[in-house]
Amino acid sequence: MSYSSRTGAQALVESLERAGVETLFGYPGGNVVDIFGFLRNSKMKFVLGRHEQGCVHMADGYARASGKPGVVLVTSGPGATNAITGLATANVDSVPLVLVSGQVPLSQIGTDAFQEADMTGICRAVTKHSFLLKSADEIPQAVAEAFYIATRGKPGAVVIDLPHDVQLQKTSAQYPERISLRAYHPDTAPKPRAVAELARLINSSNRPIFYAGGGVISSGAADDLRALSSKADIPIVTTLMGLGVIEKTSTHALGMAGMYGTEAANIALAEADLIIALGTRFSDRMTTTLKTKGKIVHVDCDPSSIEKNVSVNLGIVADIKDLITTVSSRIKPNSHTSWMKRISQLKRSSKNKVRKFKTSKIHPGAVVEAVAEAASDDAIIVTDVGQHQMFAARYYPTPKPRRFLSPGGMGTMGFAIPAAIGAALSMPNEKVVALIGDGGAQMTFNELKVASDEKLPITFIVFNNSSLGMIERMGEDSFVGNFSNPDFVMMAKALGLKAKRVSLVEELKSAVTNAVKSSHPSLLEVIVDADAKI
Amino acid sequence: MPMQKSERIYRLNCFVENKPGVLARIVGLISGRGYNIQTLNVGPTEDGTVSRMKIDVLGTEKVVNQIILQLRNCVNVIEVTRRRR
Repeated sequence: MSYSSRTGAQALVESLERAGVETLFGYPGGNVVDIFGFLRNSKMKFVLGRHEQGCVHMADGYARASGKPGVVLVTSGPGATNAITGLATANVDSVPLVLVSGQVPLSQIGTDAFQEADMTGICRAVTKHSFLLKSADEIPQAVAEAFYIATRGKPGAVVIDLPHDVQLQKTSAQYPERISLRAYHPDTAPKPRAVAELARLINSSNRPIFYAGGGVISSGAADDLRALSSKADIPIVTTLMGLGVIEKTSTHALGMAGMYGTEAANIALAEADLIIALGTRFSDRMTTTLKTKGKIVHVDCDPSSIEKNVSVNLGIVADIKDLITTVSSRIKPNSHTSWMKRISQLKRSSKNKVRKFKTSKIHPGAVVEAVAEAASDDAIIVTDVGQHQMFAARYYPTPKPRRFLSPGGMGTMGFAIPAAIGAALSMPNEKVVALIGDGGAQMTFNELKVASDEKLPITFIVFNNSSLGMIERMGEDSFVGNFSNPDFVMMAKALGLKAKRVSLVEELKSAVTNAVKSSHPSLLEVIVDADAKI
Repeated sequence: MPMQKSERIYRLNCFVENKPGVLARIVGLISGRGYNIQTLNVGPTEDGTVSRMKIDVLGTEKVVNQIILQLRNCVNVIEVTRRRR
């Protein structure tokens, strides 16, 4: 088969198809117009966002829910710079993502041309890698390398910056069958000595605890970890990103640790004689509450994560799933009777345990519980950032791997609406419920039009406390400017959604149930108790 | 920044792919964390596709080790070694 007559733009679309891309998110513009011409007849589904940040969050939600890389196409200049927040959000949470940005023609680079921005320069600090292509012959290879880099080792965001004239050059270059990079060879095979040492530590400890981060989920190790936890009778605390590892109703589950975590989880970490941290970077949201005299073992696929934020007794560079499956056979079945007794005592006495909300106003935690009751256990919950996010983290009882999506590292307001759209497109048979604060909702509300255009039966729940609660609670007298809300119901209806508002406690359950059961894109605005504290 | 007690100058020897943007990526990784490069020397090797960089950076051992690990994560970095100066 001869490719000699195709352009770079055509080679790009072909290469993305060869890379297995099924859904492409993006926004057109002058310097990608020739690529868009080839999308009309592509087997890839193209989803038009309403702002490039939204497009990247959609691809991010798509990747978090499915495990497949999210893919985005944007134009040069403002299209590229608008995508930066989305790239940073995906990259810090180790989400595999490939973004192609248009660029001004090679001859105009560096001339302050119309819609020119130095994309590879700007995105350097918020991506895993980037390419600036200078010839159409490089396109198939660069696409293959981008997907390789985005998904290998610690996953992350990769940018391909593609000048307009390169898109128009003719090329016969073909998509490579195999990828071998000269300098990038992440070695995540567990080393026998480390496996033996970890097994020895676990078998000899009296109060061991697993501390599970997002890496457990992205490596597909959640089932293996729960099995090991049962076999060796070891409790599990999670980070925000690790929430899907274990349902909170399980005997061994202590919920989330850290600043907004449960008291039980934090005390258990403090009393443990061995913390086995898996796939986490020990974020500052965790370490501020981490007080332990026990030994710490830190397992991560990224060598630079180990010893970055906390000193550890044993650091192991390994893929979490490979490590757990290897070490499991060396762990003897055990029962830590007195330690587990202490754990269940902590869970019972914890101030933060799920309780009945009895107020005259709707408590945000009650909204989360109503969602959990109405939605199936397999529903995908997507949160934004703020108080509602922490209420969701604390009160959603049955998070599952790739079913509880939250922008943990970057804390990006505006994430939930577009990410829920991406999740719904990747998992068309699953119910998606987005939980959003009234601040974050106003950042990316426009993307709701995509949900109605694509007829995605997502339920968007806006927690309206008429305040930027998380920030206002940070200081005694925090000033946030003149914050007020629009009529979310009218706005949602204007964008083609079914929408309703609820403010009475006795109407909450039926309103949430109706919204969650709806087969149309729908929005429920809940007027919540502004005094509810997390 | 003024030199602190536990800070020393470390020489990082890097072998990197000879491609555009690699120097900026490496320098950005160091400067983006607030550390100052004291000396920087970039030159060719016998293999034209590989460049050698000698970077003197002031920092604590912990920070310099962290920088080295992050440099090794860079897709274009072939090898990094260090010595205390």
